[in-house]
Amino acid sequence: MLQRSLQGDALAVSGWLRAPAALLAWAAAHHLFAGVRHLLMEAGIGSSLASARRSAYAALIAGAAIGVAALVA
Amino acid sequence: MRVFTGQRAFLLQRLTALVLLAYVAGAAVRLAFGAPLSLGQWRDSAAHPAGAALIALLAAALLLHAWVGVRDVVLDYVKPLGLRVAVLGMVAAALAFLGLWTALILASHAL
Repeated sequence: MLQRSLQGDALAVSGWLRAPAALLAWAAAHHLFAGVRHLLMEAGIGSSLASARRSAYAALIAGAAIGVAALVA
Repeated sequence: MRVFTGQRAFLLQRLTALVLLAYVAGAAVRLAFGAPLSLGQWRDSAAHPAGAALIALLAAALLLHAWVGVRDVVLDYVKPLGLRVAVLGMVAAALAFLGLWTALILASHAL
């Protein structure tokens, strides 16, 4: 992808590629939000049970939101 | 060197995570507020040593982060020693190939 982008090939995602690309975006976004959540909890932020629950749901929803945005945008 | 103590991998995973997070945050801000990058600007920035170094740092952080993550999964779930060595060897070879490929792309583009 790096090589093709430097050559100026279009990297646009369209047609049948859209769904698998959105799936990848969802996975990456979920991984990122869950990872940030873990880093914060390791730093002692939000590690009580109640706030951990809240942040878990927030990470789930934020990741899914990015996935949906990638699907429809 | 102690093998499999895990602390170095743990620290490497967190450190590369922060590097990747910085890139993603920077890219998101750029995408939201910055002017679109033209092909010429992109090619010039990747040919410049500083730009190439930024791309190389991203690739290194991504590949090392992937290595620690896959390694953790393999150590957790692949118990037979021979199979474990084989799987880890293939993963390492694949990631090393990607790293080398990235370096070659950057080097040939800079010339």
